[in-house]
Amino acid sequence: MDRRKTSWFSTIHTLALVFLGSIICRGSALSISLIERECVSENILHDGDTVSGNFVVMDHDIFWSSDHPGIEFTATSPDGVLMYALKDTSGDKFEFKARESGIYNFCFKNPSSTPETVSFYIHVGHIPNESGFAKHEHLDPVQVKIAELREALEAIISEQRYLKAREARHRHTNESTRRRVVFYTITEYVLFASTSILQVIYIRRLFSKSYVYHRV
Amino acid sequence: MDRSNLQALLLLLVLGLFSPLIESLRFELQSGHTKCISEDIKSNSMTVGKYSVVNPNEGFPLPDSHKVTVRVTSSFGNNYHYADQVTTGQFAFVAVEAGDYMACFWAPDHNPQITMTVDFDWRTGVAAKDWSNVAKKGHVDVMELELKKLYETVTSIHEEMYYLRSREEEMQELNSATNNKMFWLSLLSLLICLSVAGLHLWHLKTFFEKKKLI
Repeated sequence: MDRRKTSWFSTIHTLALVFLGSIICRGSALSISLIERECVSENILHDGDTVSGNFVVMDHDIFWSSDHPGIEFTATSPDGVLMYALKDTSGDKFEFKARESGIYNFCFKNPSSTPETVSFYIHVGHIPNESGFAKHEHLDPVQVKIAELREALEAIISEQRYLKAREARHRHTNESTRRRVVFYTITEYVLFASTSILQVIYIRRLFSKSYVYHRV
Repeated sequence: MDRSNLQALLLLLVLGLFSPLIESLRFELQSGHTKCISEDIKSNSMTVGKYSVVNPNEGFPLPDSHKVTVRVTSSFGNNYHYADQVTTGQFAFVAVEAGDYMACFWAPDHNPQITMTVDFDWRTGVAAKDWSNVAKKGHVDVMELELKKLYETVTSIHEEMYYLRSREEEMQELNSATNNKMFWLSLLSLLICLSVAGLHLWHLKTFFEKKKLI
């Protein structure tokens, strides 16, 4: 009888541990093409979760005008409360604590007419706490520590993705600069040579016999 | 023996039960429009994607117009997954080519324009690994599984660091090459300017001497 009781307790304990273990903190790193307004939603399961992420706008070839004005980013809770807002930025990180569970909307708005590519990463982190457990179950502190460790690692992963996206943007800018340097200097040579040739032709024409005869 | 078997069974059951709770990204798709999502995937890494059209009315069957066409292509143009007019589906493959993989969703035209919500979950690398399988094969307990996951995460972070470092080195080389190129091109521009001016003057001088004006 005693053995059966301990066996049931241990299975419930395993159940509790597995439930904790399967709350896998997920993140999604994607890039979308932003034409005017794009919204992405994520379902957050528990209130008190920390929602963190970052986004970077990929540079596009700018030949004439100054740098792109930036995009607008808003994060809205299921109630419609604005949780986070960023304006006129070409890339930033964000973090907030979700006060309630539900579907949160993350929207990007592009003020200019050219479509942009936005690379973003959203991560929802959950650390289990005492709530959500029945009375006879107890929270294993090791599981909490593991969850905290995982959250710290996910923070590193988030930062890495941000750095990777920014590096891609800088690389794009640098390659565009190199192409433009070559293009502008070759154009400069061609313009020099053609101006000089045109000047020579004009002066020769000024002194040509037909012109001299027609001047009088 | 009996107890450990029961534990393993329960572990599997609960993992199986709780995995659908792992939520994913949702976006809206209007009929007749295309939305593409791209992700940068390293070579030889596993990637798993699941997509489904969200039912706007719970309990009623999904209307016929709510179907999507999905295509997953690599940056070289190779097709990895194609599904026509489906409401749900999934794809999994090992990315042989490194680069940007694009998953495009296309909603067919419908007369009153409808907007449907598509639920899309795309995981690569560590998150894509089937942990329930690993648990089943190795008869590991929960703690060890968690720690295994953390170890794999740390390894992937380390590899990502190497990648970032090599990219930074490439960028430094690119910048110094651009610097070098700018120097030589401006020097060449100065030489061309002087030589064109010199030729110009020489030509005009001989021209006027020929015309016996000088």
